[in-house]
Amino acid sequence: MSEKHKEGHSKSYKKLQGMKTLEEILDVAISFEKTARDFYSGMIPKVSKNIRYLVEELAEEEQEHFDLFSSLKDSPNVKKQLKKRIKTPTEDHKFSDFVQLLDLGDKPDDQSILQYALAREDAAMKQYQELADNAPEGELKDTFQFLAFEEAEHKLELEKKYYEIIHSGGPQ
Amino acid sequence: MKKIEYKDKGSILNPLKNLQFFARKPITEKLQPRPASASYRGFHINDMDKCIGCSSCQKICDNAAITMVEVPSIAEDASKGIRNLRPAIDYGRCCWCALCVDICPTSAIELSREYVHTCDGDETDSYFVFPQESGIHGLNFEKGWTKTKDSDLLDRERRPMQEMKPEDRIDNFDEIVDGFTMEMAVEEASRCVDCGLCEDACPAHMHAPNYIRSIYEGNLEQAVEWMYETNPFSHVCGRVCTHICESACSLGRVGEDGVKTSQPIAIRWLKRFAMDHVPKTKIKQIAKKGKATKKSGQRVAIIGAGPAGLTTAFDLVKKGHQVTVYEAQPKGGGMTRYGIPNYRLPEDRLDQDIEVIQSVGVDIQYNVRIGKDITMQQLQKDNDAVVLAIGLQNGRSTRIPGSENKNVKKAVDLLRMIPKGEEFEVPKSAVIIGGGNVAMDIARSLARLQKQKFGKVGITVSALETLGKNFLADDEEVKESKEEDITILDARGPVQCVIDKKGKLTGLETVKVVSIFDDKGRFAPKYDDSDKQFHEAEMVVEAIGQMADISVLGEELTEELEWNRGRIQVDENGSTSVEWLWSAGDMVNGPDVIHAVADGHRVATDIDKYLRKEKKS
Repeated sequence: MSEKHKEGHSKSYKKLQGMKTLEEILDVAISFEKTARDFYSGMIPKVSKNIRYLVEELAEEEQEHFDLFSSLKDSPNVKKQLKKRIKTPTEDHKFSDFVQLLDLGDKPDDQSILQYALAREDAAMKQYQELADNAPEGELKDTFQFLAFEEAEHKLELEKKYYEIIHSGGPQ
Repeated sequence: MKKIEYKDKGSILNPLKNLQFFARKPITEKLQPRPASASYRGFHINDMDKCIGCSSCQKICDNAAITMVEVPSIAEDASKGIRNLRPAIDYGRCCWCALCVDICPTSAIELSREYVHTCDGDETDSYFVFPQESGIHGLNFEKGWTKTKDSDLLDRERRPMQEMKPEDRIDNFDEIVDGFTMEMAVEEASRCVDCGLCEDACPAHMHAPNYIRSIYEGNLEQAVEWMYETNPFSHVCGRVCTHICESACSLGRVGEDGVKTSQPIAIRWLKRFAMDHVPKTKIKQIAKKGKATKKSGQRVAIIGAGPAGLTTAFDLVKKGHQVTVYEAQPKGGGMTRYGIPNYRLPEDRLDQDIEVIQSVGVDIQYNVRIGKDITMQQLQKDNDAVVLAIGLQNGRSTRIPGSENKNVKKAVDLLRMIPKGEEFEVPKSAVIIGGGNVAMDIARSLARLQKQKFGKVGITVSALETLGKNFLADDEEVKESKEEDITILDARGPVQCVIDKKGKLTGLETVKVVSIFDDKGRFAPKYDDSDKQFHEAEMVVEAIGQMADISVLGEELTEELEWNRGRIQVDENGSTSVEWLWSAGDMVNGPDVIHAVADGHRVATDIDKYLRKEKKS
């Protein structure tokens, strides 16, 4: 396996900076989850079999997020708000920063994969939280807070996994 | 006082007077339940939550009035010393001596002030009672005879173990613990109530009550015989076992009024005592007992000469198979040699355990690395079964910024170098990241080397966990580390290894950990970023976790095997998904000597079964 593991294209995430409507932001969020799912799925046959479970679980979790965010976009309450324009944060670069900075290398081990996933969830969580902070009170704000909460929960689960695997002899 | 005229015979018609009663309706005066006097020995009551099912009450009962009854609804937990057995009393046998009360370690069983129970002929089995807290009739009578400090039959205090003083031990690797004298050992052994909770809890189910009794009787060879039935690493376990047996010991319970502390039997030290006082030649004879006289003609290869690999080898050789153990290091013992410092486990004691195992017929090939010197495929071809027992020999890194610096080391690497006599530059100051026993081992080893070289100790241990709450290292390790001038900073998370402009490590930056687990006990660290500290150090040592080096398997076998969350998937007997391969020890069950020994037995039994079937077919 000589191919280096790097997720997606930073170009697509840079688009976020120009986005103003909720619909556009949700589209990027959904595509962010989809890219991650495809990235982890693509990695499954390439990593050593002993740590494949980790990548499989990450792909499943991203699929769940993809489904959740897609259904959120289709929900009647959010649909009404899709065309609303939102003030995006001045430092609106969390996703793109993440994609540019992290590189899993040729042969990632379990720790690298977990650190990568943690950084990814952290970037997404901060992004949604900033959007929530900038959104007016109401359903729009609640939507972003929900997204931030989802990412924070996922990060928490990953931290637990990290502690079990790295700070011990492996999960029991 | 009125004089009773008992000599008065009365009227001759008196018998006729009695006839008047024949026509009357009989009256039965009901005996109303009423409490007897305080401390009365009435019917038993038993607090089902306090009762641990240890059976001490049953064992002490001379009348055999107590039967332990299984209660399936009660959850068993062998490691905590809880069985789902509870006492039932046969009041046809009970003499209310209350010895059951006086022996009960948790003061669960007591006597009430209730003393009346009647029944008709069809209900005689109602005298066989399963006592509960509310009493025989559920009437919640007051307590009668209960245990006090004076009536407690248990000897709650452990015989103190002598240790080297900190100032005497800090500049050397001499063993710290002195060990029991014969007198102390017999006294300590006399405390045992033979409940067997220790045996249930021990992963290898060592017959601790039996060897404790043998020590009490002064028959140390018999004690060693009991030990070798289940553990060929008795010297090692007599010193560094995690002694789950002692956590389960019924003597470790506090229950009765007036007794504030109760100490479990020092089972580990008793084991050590017996092993140290029986000559090696005798132990070799004991170890050979039960060895098959006929060779099976079948060969087994074992990778790794640690406790799991050598226990498997010991059992298989005794069953008549030819066993070769391949060890990459120059000596056997695995992490017990290359991970545990000499002051806890002197090398000569480990050597003796291995020598005894070899004397039974186990062949160990040292300095042979499977995957490099011999391939797994070759091993498969030359043997009928292969066992993988390579342990968790690689250290994990935090991978925080700066951790790639050459002066950031892994604890397991340093601990491996020290017994080999390999030299490295001893730092004047070092910070250890981690709070487990490995962190304490490297901290205390470096402290000794510093004392030898510089005359003073400069070690700081930085751990995520909180002392007295969720700290990972054993309490005695923490206590002894502090006595040796090691600073332990708990609840601190590593941020970065600080490197100066010249690329030199200057120390470690840490941040305060506010909490490490959430209310459900899940890892969910919370930090206080306003509380950051810099700890100056020439060396940072990472002791956060370990992993197996599975490169030995090669890509093909790695792919062929089934895995379970990063570890080789094995069934309850250690059999992998590949027919000819078994796995045992730390790499499948986590780091612990006695678990590795237990694993070795299971794997050996399963391989023996497999080889016998193979032979038949």
